[in-house]
Amino acid sequence: MSKSLMIVDDSATMRKIIMRTVRMSGLEFERTEEAGNGAEAIEKLKTAPVDLVLCDVNMPEMSGLEMVKKIRTELKICEGTKIIMVSTESSQELIDGVIADGANGFITKPFTPEKFQEKLTPFMN
Amino acid sequence: MVEQICFNTVLLDSAKEIFSTMVFMDLVEITEPDVKIDRALLGSITFKGGLEGCLGICCDVQCARAIAVNMLGMDSDSELTEEGTCDAIGEIVNMIMGGVKSRILKDVGNLEVSIPSVVSGNNLNSLEHKSIRVTIPINIDDKYAAELSLLYRESI
Ligand SMILES: [Mg+2]
Repeated sequence: MSKSLMIVDDSATMRKIIMRTVRMSGLEFERTEEAGNGAEAIEKLKTAPVDLVLCDVNMPEMSGLEMVKKIRTELKICEGTKIIMVSTESSQELIDGVIADGANGFITKPFTPEKFQEKLTPFMN
Repeated sequence: MVEQICFNTVLLDSAKEIFSTMVFMDLVEITEPDVKIDRALLGSITFKGGLEGCLGICCDVQCARAIAVNMLGMDSDSELTEEGTCDAIGEIVNMIMGGVKSRILKDVGNLEVSIPSVVSGNNLNSLEHKSIRVTIPINIDDKYAAELSLLYRESI
């Protein structure tokens, strides 16, 4: 079954790098979306949900942490959507916190195609 | 605890890691700096928590464009915009800060970081005295002179 992906990051450069890394990891998506912060992502997800979201933490307007909380506990939308955080943040406390809030995984920057493959493959079936 | 951290090593190691894994360029410290950076771009990010301060990278526009081109895997810089260049430098400083954070986490605890900003010139003057500054002159790909800097103080 073909999957859809959304990349949420305030840096357009990073969105491109993530997209390239996804491609290099050999994973294929039939549809890909982009958003520059959590609020923009939620607006897009409301009308066109995706299977997988790769989401930055540190963003203006609405951070990745706020976005996860909002989607999982307040709006309760996109229940089938897996959310993987991609961030320079690496404190265990923060990772545990966002997983407890409903994120499904965490990838730290800098990353490699191998890391993407390892972390995303479980969600591709 | 803070006194025991070698910020020079922390900063340089983090920058080297980011440049080798995300930019695919070689970064080395230079001991005899010839750092006259014209048309400089400064990417900076502030942090607070057990330590507060500002981390930056300053380089000339050409170096910044080369970094952006490499990060994005572009063939040439002909389609690179000024906005794209600034965005790439902002993300570089964001990732270097992330590396610094994780390296000093056990000594100073978690730091909260700002959204990176990129300007031309120097915007560090809002930090008062008593700050300690680490600057490392560097060379990128044996071609561009640039500078890493870290300004910090223990928060009161
Ligand atoms: Mg960000």
